[in-house]
Amino acid sequence: MTMRLVSAELVDSRQILPGQWVQSFHAPELASGSRAGQFVHVRTGDYSGLVLRRPFSINTADPATGIVTLHFRTVGRGTEWLTRAREGDRLDMLGPLGRPFEVDPRSRHLLLVAGGLGIAGIRMLADEAVRDGRQVVILFGAQSASLVYPSSLLPDEVEYVVATDDGSLGHDGFVTELMVDYEAWADQAFACGPHPMLKRLAALAAGRRERLGVATLGRKRGGGKHDPLGSTAARRKAFLQVSMEQTMGCAVGACLGCTVIGVDGPQRVCREGPVFAAEEIAWESIA
Amino acid sequence: MKTKKRVVISADVRSPKAARVKRTPTVRTIKSAIVPVDRTTRSGNVRPRVEIGGAAVADLGAPVAVRPSLAEREALDRIDLSVELAPQRGLRLLNPIMVASGTFGYGVEYGEVVDVQRIGAICCKGTTLRPRAGNQPPRVTETPGGMLNSIGLQNPGVDAVIEKYGPVWQGWKVPVIVNVAGESIDDYVEVARRLDGVPGVAGIELNISCPNVGKGGLQFAIDRDAARAVTAAVRRATDLPLLVKLSPNVADVRPIAKAIEEAGADAITAINTLSGLAVSPDRTRAFLGNTYGGLSGPAIKPVALRIVYEVAQVVSIPIVAIGGVTNLGDVLDFFACGAIAVQVGTAIFADPELPVRLGEELRAECLRRGLASYGPLVGTALPKRAGASSAKGAEYRP
Ligand SMILES: Cc1cc2nc3c(=O)[nH]c(=O)nc-3n(C[C@H](O)[C@H](O)[C@H](O)COP(=O)(O)O)c2cc1C
Ligand code: FES
Repeated sequence: MTMRLVSAELVDSRQILPGQWVQSFHAPELASGSRAGQFVHVRTGDYSGLVLRRPFSINTADPATGIVTLHFRTVGRGTEWLTRAREGDRLDMLGPLGRPFEVDPRSRHLLLVAGGLGIAGIRMLADEAVRDGRQVVILFGAQSASLVYPSSLLPDEVEYVVATDDGSLGHDGFVTELMVDYEAWADQAFACGPHPMLKRLAALAAGRRERLGVATLGRKRGGGKHDPLGSTAARRKAFLQVSMEQTMGCAVGACLGCTVIGVDGPQRVCREGPVFAAEEIAWESIA
Repeated sequence: MKTKKRVVISADVRSPKAARVKRTPTVRTIKSAIVPVDRTTRSGNVRPRVEIGGAAVADLGAPVAVRPSLAEREALDRIDLSVELAPQRGLRLLNPIMVASGTFGYGVEYGEVVDVQRIGAICCKGTTLRPRAGNQPPRVTETPGGMLNSIGLQNPGVDAVIEKYGPVWQGWKVPVIVNVAGESIDDYVEVARRLDGVPGVAGIELNISCPNVGKGGLQFAIDRDAARAVTAAVRRATDLPLLVKLSPNVADVRPIAKAIEEAGADAITAINTLSGLAVSPDRTRAFLGNTYGGLSGPAIKPVALRIVYEVAQVVSIPIVAIGGVTNLGDVLDFFACGAIAVQVGTAIFADPELPVRLGEELRAECLRRGLASYGPLVGTALPKRAGASSAKGAEYRP
């Protein structure tokens, strides 16, 4: 669906974790027209001078009920304003925006990796993958047990593996450390979270074929034909796709405010992204 | 360590209300306030060379209703919002609400949500001779009542702009003004030459808030002689309508505005962004990749008003106001200070439909006041005697 301005009615708002909220909106156009990885740009109330919209990943979208959900953390006045919205309030959303995750039709095993709020970026992909009959493992990392995304909010069919920085739940350490355990199983991986986490995953993904001994098998996928970097076809073949974040102005590609550095120069997160194949990003530019 | 989970979410999040959501149409009411028809136009303040719609002040009467009746619609249609920005060369806009450079891309990006043909004119992203990759991210951040940006003039270069967008613009009713930036006078001149005669290019807006490499990086915009020189050089290079955009980051903008007028600009646009800075959340560095950024949005409106007010008293070419426009009141404020058109920038990000809506609201406002054009609204706040305020302005410079 092409982007449009949508009036979305808040139908439910709940705090799922300390400072983290899931809000449900009735917005049939978005619920049926969006794909996993896309986002909406939400206008906050004219609240003493908030001049910019706030981008949020579409956390879930259910065409049957016309409901989309957003999952966010209160980080400033815009998100605080959102938490005070009441059922029945209408929010102005621009969307769906950006390019979605591209799953290779042949991929059976999807590895989804999320750091903290990054779960909102890959959550909908889990639904789509389950619907399409694929197997899904979600690796989730948080600082501590109190910030672990509740498993009750995930589809039944996924395997959910948790890591915490302080070891209070699941694997004691970073979620990236779990990736290697699954790299042979996974046909493709999709990640969203802090940029250093994505950078680490990209480095791991780059060495994967060699570790698995497939680098020498020669041409397989694509049979030597090279799809241009950034094309849908090239992304579909990529092992790792990442959902990037950047501060935004317009979110439609007009202001060039949201760039990250790609190997081919600046890339607009709102237009070329937010999902990129890991190979597209100039990771050395990211701290 | 593996937590196998269960429970399906959709049933969970879906509220029982969802099923019975009905869509209530939003009705926008415009108050039918009776405002006396203003016939006391202070003709002395409307600069003579400025052409706005028809000159006559007609009593068009009736207040605007939610859904205008046929008679009201006809009365609205009779109001002439057109304005000439370059009286000597011809740059006629169907209405005075433009979109500001850098906030509306090349006019195509918002195409799906905005009817761009109903905008007065589009100023495209700053265009340079050669492609530019722009500044390090992050490039934008919100600030109280505004935002900072440091895009760094990322653009594909003038040739690519002409090739890619020229044919698109040519098919448009809305005039497209190419915003031009450079690091030397030769750069500006060369870009202007290449734009000259390109179908679809209605005019040039010089962004002179750029470092002049030839003069040790001093901005053209803060140096009267450089501003004069670059304007004159571009003037010689092209017959396209030429607008020159002022920077607010100067002690006194008036001599610069005058120099630009003398050098042959058709109109002045004001203002560009104010230089600013934001700090990273952990306070270990500046937030923006480029350290400094340009402040825009409602926060800068008073500065823009002051500059338009000052410039209006020293030049007689048309002035296009830019800075923090978010509603019709802002537009009318700028008109009152002597602008004959405005550009909307940052506010588009929150409200993409604003520029088109402002045109309609201005039309309704003229009808409400019984005006056939908005000409009588221009310059009403300027001091009656020319020159009287110059001293006042200087006095209040902190
Ligand atoms: C993201 C962004 C990019 C901009 N890029 C340009 C530019 O390329 N050239 C230019 O002359 N002005 C540029 N400007 C300045 C605007 O055209 C305008 O002068 C300024 O934002 C003030 O208007 P506003 O308060 O309505 O935004 C830019 C502003 C923003 C916010
Ligand atoms: S936010 Fe404006 S280009 Fe991406």
